Amino acid sequence: MFKKILIANRGEIATRIIWACRELGIRTVAIYSEADRDSLHVRFADEAWCIGPAPSTKSYLNIPMVISAAEIANVDAIHPGYGFLAENAYFAEVCERCNIKFIGPSPECISLMGDKARARATMKAAGVPITPGFEGIVEDERDALRIADEIGYPVIIKASAGGGGRGMRIVRNRNEMLASLPAAQHEAQLAFGNPAVYIEKYIEQARHVEIQVLGDRHGNMVHLGERECSVQRRHQKLIEESPSPALTPEMRRRMGEVAVEACREIGYVNAGTMEFLLDENKNFYFMEMNTRIQVEHPVTEMVTNTDLVREQILIAAGERLEFDQDDIIFSGHSIECRINAENSRTFAPSPGLITAMNIPGGPGVRTDTAAYPGWYVPPHYDSLIAKLIVHHRTRDMAIARMQRALDAMIIEGIDTTVSLQQQILADADFIAGNLSTRFMERFSNPRPAAQGAAE
Amino acid sequence: MNLKEVKELIELISEKGLTEFEIERQGFRMRISRYNQPPASAQQVAPPVVALPIPPVVSAPIPAQPIQNSATPEAAPAAPASLESGSAGEAPESSLHIIKSPLVGTFYRSPSPNSDQFVKVGDRVGPETVVCIIEAMKLMNNIQAEVSGEVAKIYVENGQPVEYGQPLFGIRD
Repeated sequence: MFKKILIANRGEIATRIIWACRELGIRTVAIYSEADRDSLHVRFADEAWCIGPAPSTKSYLNIPMVISAAEIANVDAIHPGYGFLAENAYFAEVCERCNIKFIGPSPECISLMGDKARARATMKAAGVPITPGFEGIVEDERDALRIADEIGYPVIIKASAGGGGRGMRIVRNRNEMLASLPAAQHEAQLAFGNPAVYIEKYIEQARHVEIQVLGDRHGNMVHLGERECSVQRRHQKLIEESPSPALTPEMRRRMGEVAVEACREIGYVNAGTMEFLLDENKNFYFMEMNTRIQVEHPVTEMVTNTDLVREQILIAAGERLEFDQDDIIFSGHSIECRINAENSRTFAPSPGLITAMNIPGGPGVRTDTAAYPGWYVPPHYDSLIAKLIVHHRTRDMAIARMQRALDAMIIEGIDTTVSLQQQILADADFIAGNLSTRFMERFSNPRPAAQGAAE
Repeated sequence: MNLKEVKELIELISEKGLTEFEIERQGFRMRISRYNQPPASAQQVAPPVVALPIPPVVSAPIPAQPIQNSATPEAAPAAPASLESGSAGEAPESSLHIIKSPLVGTFYRSPSPNSDQFVKVGDRVGPETVVCIIEAMKLMNNIQAEVSGEVAKIYVENGQPVEYGQPLFGIRD
């Protein structure tokens, strides 16, 4: 078992990893940029090393400095969290070469799934349903038009080297393609350093449903059910829940099996998430695979009574999974609301000093956060400052629980998206479970003040 | 716990060959641990390093004695050589220009274990004078003074792990 782990991350996920390490008796090493000197993860780690100035490229993404810190702290393993270097195959390789265990899958798997076009092709070959689309990179405009004609409009252009909504364009007809293709390629170049794009069928009323998998180094592989993440704004998730209101137990079984088999095919180890789109007829199609622990992992933990970060560490240390598929029991319903340091109406980022804070408690409420009163939210990083998670026996009860928890989630001094979340939780379609990736559109357009407000 | 008590504690720990020691009292917690031997200087035992978890509002960090020379500290262990984490444990004089580490890595006073030190206290330096090496991932990085002046203080020990921004040298105009 590892004696010491370096956490190559910051914020709430860094504290999350520290908790799992503490419970396993593993010493923790935090790294931080100058902007994060007063961070909670620095405070709670057993050791902390400043590795660079505020900009991520000079600190959290600075591989030589991260490895240098790992070496002087003499760690056995590195947990990369999510974002930053978590899906950087080169980083995983460097760790291996420096004899430091990377807590995650192999560099080959990271690389394979990180190339979205290759991932689609691999999954297709493995028998996983994929959205109708051409598997290759779009060569030029003529190619794009031909592909779109074959698939049938509407289509979506996507960046091969990335995600998160950048380098994406929905195209409804030939005319739109002529402008959208170069725009998408340019955006992809800027965001990921690679202009390569591919084209898929665009599903209008799609639901984003993802399957959590876990595999150890002894060939055991399980799935832990699904998470529905359709409530998204600009492809950034706002609310996630498990189970999905759209899935029957039979669908869950089938999707889970498909995910597990595909992961076996590619020799996947550790935690991963396979993302699918569901169409109006409940057909599911592979979208992409995330080869890391995800932000929304807590909802799975709540309904399966597991600790996924703990499992990641154990797997990386060579342990066998303690449970098999039959041992995994799904119980109740869990919802997570992401709380961002942003204005609820304009989404303008709101860094600054948190002057007062109350974290909700009571039964079935969990808050994963690294924020605290007196903490200055730095402007340099993503705006997620807390995750509010609830669990209850049914979806309706979980919604009521989330509403009262949100009411008690007080963060003063900065803008947060708590009030937006309250509005979503009061929305009739949300309550009915009528979700799709277009759900948030109703919140983009100015609407009458009294509509949908939670009181 | 005052500076004298901390010094005595460190002496005791070195004497008894302990590798790790932790003490907690009202409002105060201290952990001291020895590092493994640094790879390039086989003949020196790494000095014990005091690790103080820094509370959010630091009223008075323990002032460390700046190291005047690189004599092996076994006979007379220096006062808390540096703090392992967070900001510098000592308050460098405001009149000195502080050369801070631009890297995370291991600090070396000389190009190789058997050669002379780059600089000593009292030496004059210019902007391009190499004052030390910081080794990161087996790569030796020469660190230049970037200012002119006289080496007044040296805040770290040969073979000591240092973090980004950690004070290394104090240069007087």
